[in-house]
Amino acid sequence: MNEQRRQVLQMLAEGKITADEAERLIDALAREQPEPAAPGSKVRPKYLRVLVNSTELGGPGKVNVRVPLQLLRAGVRLTSLIPQDALGQVNLQLHRSGVPIDLTQLKPQQLEDLIEHLDDITVDVDSPEGKVQVFCE
Amino acid sequence: MIPQLVTVRSRGRDGRRRRFFIPVLPVLLVLSPLLLLAVLAGLVACVVFRINPGGALRGVGQVLLALPGSQFEIEEGRTAFLVSVR
Repeated sequence: MNEQRRQVLQMLAEGKITADEAERLIDALAREQPEPAAPGSKVRPKYLRVLVNSTELGGPGKVNVRVPLQLLRAGVRLTSLIPQDALGQVNLQLHRSGVPIDLTQLKPQQLEDLIEHLDDITVDVDSPEGKVQVFCE
Repeated sequence: MIPQLVTVRSRGRDGRRRRFFIPVLPVLLVLSPLLLLAVLAGLVACVVFRINPGGALRGVGQVLLALPGSQFEIEEGRTAFLVSVR
């Protein structure tokens, strides 16, 4: 809710204007400032792109990786097939290596939510040795 | 849609370029007897490791269906390597 609309409602609550006047004011505000497009209407990105331009290691280097987000989702769904015994063994090894992460607590739905929101992520690293960009397109 | 064409390009230190176009469906048809054996071996492995075979097949299928559009390209100095799935 924007500030002007809040002020109109505040005036209505304080009895300074009537309900009809408030309605007319809110309609006028809506005409001046049309609502932004619904979030679902924007074009969803389809690919995760990783671009690396480097001047290290002798000659100029370039990495260009394009991964369909659908592929990430399918890969995440595959993780749900890992048996509990295997997850237990991985957890044990992670603890021994000083990484206290419990993979059994990581649910496929959480991973899918993570991928769902990947399209909002943009990573841009610029340094004299090179440039790294991670984004969705 | 399953992948239709895999393109592999490489450029060696001598600057020589190589390109391979792999039509997936004909190659799968030619290799189908081996593929059948691989699927059977995979199903046995699923039973041994107590993984749901149906879920595994569905998961692998989803990964295959999602492959088109993938691209991996790396260049370093004069050498380069590219794999693209369409």
